[in-house]
Amino acid sequence: MHIEKNLDVINACRFCFMCRHLDPVGNVTFREADTPRGRALICDRIRMDAANLSNADFIDTLYRGALSAANRFHCVSSYDETGLVLAARRDIVEASLAPVAVTALAKTLEKATFSVKGKGRVLYFGPTPELYKGCATLAGGDPGKALAVLGFEAASKKVFARFKKAVAASGCKTLVVAEPSAFEFLRGNVPGVKVVHCAEYLMDQGMKKTGARKAVYLESDFLKNYCGNPSAPRDLLAQAGYALIAFGTNTEESYAVGEGALVYDTLYPELAERLCQRVYTLAEGLAKTRFITASQTVKDTLKKYNPAFDVVTLEEAVSLSQA
Amino acid sequence: MTPKNYLYEMIRSELTWAVGDDHVQTNDADKLGHSIDYYWVPECWHDRGGKPTPPDFVVHPGTTKEVAEILKIANTHKIPVIPWGGGSGSQGGALPIYGGIVLDMKRMNKVLEIDPVSMTVTAEVGINTQHLEWEVEKAGYSTMHFPASIACATLGGFIAHRGTGVLSTKYGKIEDMIMSLEVVTPTGEIINTLPVPRHASGPALTELYLGSEGTLGVVTRAVMKIHPIPASRKFHAFLFETMHDAMTAGSKIMTSRLRPCVIRLYDETETAKLVKRVLGIDRKGAYLVFGFDGPEKIVDLELEEACAICAKTASEDLGTEAGQTWWDHRYKFFYPPYMFHMPQAFGTLDTVATFSNIEKVYWAMKNVVQDNFPQATFIGHFSHWYDWGCMLYARFIIDEPPKDPSEAIALYNRIWDMAIRAAIREGGVINEHHGVGLKLGRIMRDLYGPAFGVLESIKKTLDPNNIMNPGKMGFPGKGV
Repeated sequence: MHIEKNLDVINACRFCFMCRHLDPVGNVTFREADTPRGRALICDRIRMDAANLSNADFIDTLYRGALSAANRFHCVSSYDETGLVLAARRDIVEASLAPVAVTALAKTLEKATFSVKGKGRVLYFGPTPELYKGCATLAGGDPGKALAVLGFEAASKKVFARFKKAVAASGCKTLVVAEPSAFEFLRGNVPGVKVVHCAEYLMDQGMKKTGARKAVYLESDFLKNYCGNPSAPRDLLAQAGYALIAFGTNTEESYAVGEGALVYDTLYPELAERLCQRVYTLAEGLAKTRFITASQTVKDTLKKYNPAFDVVTLEEAVSLSQA
Repeated sequence: MTPKNYLYEMIRSELTWAVGDDHVQTNDADKLGHSIDYYWVPECWHDRGGKPTPPDFVVHPGTTKEVAEILKIANTHKIPVIPWGGGSGSQGGALPIYGGIVLDMKRMNKVLEIDPVSMTVTAEVGINTQHLEWEVEKAGYSTMHFPASIACATLGGFIAHRGTGVLSTKYGKIEDMIMSLEVVTPTGEIINTLPVPRHASGPALTELYLGSEGTLGVVTRAVMKIHPIPASRKFHAFLFETMHDAMTAGSKIMTSRLRPCVIRLYDETETAKLVKRVLGIDRKGAYLVFGFDGPEKIVDLELEEACAICAKTASEDLGTEAGQTWWDHRYKFFYPPYMFHMPQAFGTLDTVATFSNIEKVYWAMKNVVQDNFPQATFIGHFSHWYDWGCMLYARFIIDEPPKDPSEAIALYNRIWDMAIRAAIREGGVINEHHGVGLKLGRIMRDLYGPAFGVLESIKKTLDPNNIMNPGKMGFPGKGV
C-alpha cells in the first residue's frame, strides 16, 4: 500500500495533537476524525488491517479533508500528513473503492483536452489571457493535478501527457501559470520549459502605481503551504497600489475554502459553504475592503455562497488597478 | 450498548432531537478518534493492534441548553456521559471506558465578550485555547495562558483538570485565571457560580468544578482574566554544576519575592538529553532559565536581581540568548520526533511540593525508578514555581518495553504505583496540572486519606445516577 511509504508520518501524527487548531475542516465540523491525528489513526488502522480500507466512514473522512497543508507548514518537523492522505486516496482508488461521486468526477476530469492559440515566446495558462499581450495562450482543463489529488494517478499521468504535448507544440520555453494548484503541479515537471507563477511574470512587466486601496490578500494553500510562500503575489499587489491589511486572527490558518483539495466544492458543497461562512464572518467589519485571491477556484467558491462578497483574483485585481 | 437495538435507536433519536442530526455521530471514524486520547495506555493498545473502547455516540452540543437536554436524556437511561475537549489529556480522563455518550464540546467555541474595563473575557469552553488567545490578542490583550498544549486543548479541558501554562509563576494556573463558571449539573440544571473569585459568601463553588474532570457536571462557559500585552519580556539562563545548586538559586529567586513570569530548571540528565537535542545547548550540569515581563525598567531591575542571585553559585552564565532560545522553542519539546513516542513507554510523574520537600520527592522517585526498573531512564525538570515551592515534571522512559501490551501496561502501572507512593511519602502532591483521570484514580485515597470521603459524598449527591465520567478520579465505575 502507498500509505506504508508514509510510515514516519503515521507514527508521528497518530498520537500528536499539536496542529489540530489549523485544520480548516476540523474547525467547522469539530469532529476528531477531521484532524491530522484522526486521519493518521485511520491510516494506521488500514495499515494494520487492509480490510479497513473498505470502511465507508474511513473513506469518506479521507476524502473530506481540505488538504490545506497548514498543518504541515506549522509542524516543527514538517511531517507531511497531506502526503499521507494523498497516498491513502491512491490506495482507495487502486482498490476500486473510491466513492461514486469521486469516480464520476474523475471520469469528467479525464476528458480534459488542451489547445494553443496565438503565437509568442511565452505561453500563458489561465483564465485572464487579455492581461498577457504578445503571449500565446494555452486553453483547457486541469492539467492532471485534480486527478492526482483524488488518487487517480494513472489517469492524471495521461492528462498531463496531453498537456505536455500541447506545451511542446507551442514551441514556448516559458509557461506562465495562474492557478496555484496548476503552478505547484507543473513547476519543474515540464521538460525544457520554465514554469513561472503569473505574479512573478506580471511583476517583471512593471505596474502603473495607482492610489492606495485597502485590500485583504487571502493566502493560497498551494503558494503558501506547498510552494514555500513566495512573496511575489504580495509584492505584485503592493506594486499595483494595494495596501494589504491583516485578516482573521492569525497568519497560520487557511482561509482558502478548500483550495488544497481543488474540487472540494464539487464533492462537499455543504462543507465548502461552511468554510466560506467562516471567511464571511471574519470579514464582517471590513466593509469596502476588496478581497484578493490567487485562485480562480477560491474566488468562484466564495462568490457562489455570497455573490455580494467583493472578491477578485490576483490578475483581476491587477487589471482593475491598471484600468 | 448494542448498536441497532431498540434502546440504542431510541437514545439516538432523543439525542438527534436535542442537537440535530448533524451533531450526533456514530460512525467508525469519529468513534476511533474518541477512543484514544493522549494517555499512553490507549496509545499502546492501538499500537499493538488492540481497539480501545469507543463511545456509542459522539454528540456536539451547540448551546448550554442542549447540554442540559443531553444530560437529562443520559439520566433517564442511566448511560455515561464523558465530556471531551481537545482530547489531549494525558491521564485518560476523557476516555469512554464504558462506552456511552462522548460530549464533544468543541462546537461551543465562541468568545462572547471582552470586557476591557474589568479585563476579562467570557467564552464558551469548547474553544481551542490558541484560538482564544488569538482572539484576545486581536483585541489588544492576552490570556497569558501558554501551555504546551495551547494548540490542542480547549478552555474546558484546562478547567476540568486544573491545567497550567508556561507563565504560571506570574499569571497563575487556570484556577487563578478563572473568575466564574456556568455549569450544567448532572441532572440537567444550569447554574452559575458567583461572579468574582474573592468573597466571603460561603465556600467557593467555582473551585468545586475546577479540577472535577467532568465528574460533577459540565462546565459550559467561563469568565477569565485577561492582561495587557507586556512592553517587555526578557530571559536569562545559567548553568549549575548540580541540580541542587540550581534549585537553591531558583528557590532564592522566589522566596526573595521577585516576580518572574517563568522559571524552569532541568536536571543533569534532561539537560544532557533534551536541552541539547531540542535547543542545541550542549553543556554538562543543570540548565536554569527564567524570564520577567512587564514595563521594561521593572523587568531590567528584577532580571538584574535574579542574575545576581544565580551568579553567586552558577558554573556558567549562559546569557540572554540561551534564555531566549528556550522561550522561542518552548513548544518544540512536545512535537514529534522530540517528544517520546511508541514503542517507548513513558510517563510524566507530575508532582508538586514545598521547597523543603521538592528535592526529597525528586530523589525518592528517582531512586525508586532506578532501583526497581533498571530498564527505565529517569529525567526531570522543575517547571512551575510559586512562593512556597514548585512542580517536578519527572519522567520515566523505557525504550524497549515488553511487546505484549498487557505486560507493557502492567510494567507501566507498576512504575507509577511505586514512584507516586514514594513521592507522597515525602510530602509530594500528585499532581500539579495534568489531572487524575483514569491513570491516577487508584491513588486518590492514599493522597487524600479520610478527606476523600468528602469528595465521594459530593459526587453521590450531585450525580445520583453516576452518569458523569464514571470510573475517573477514583470515583466508582458504571453500575456501582
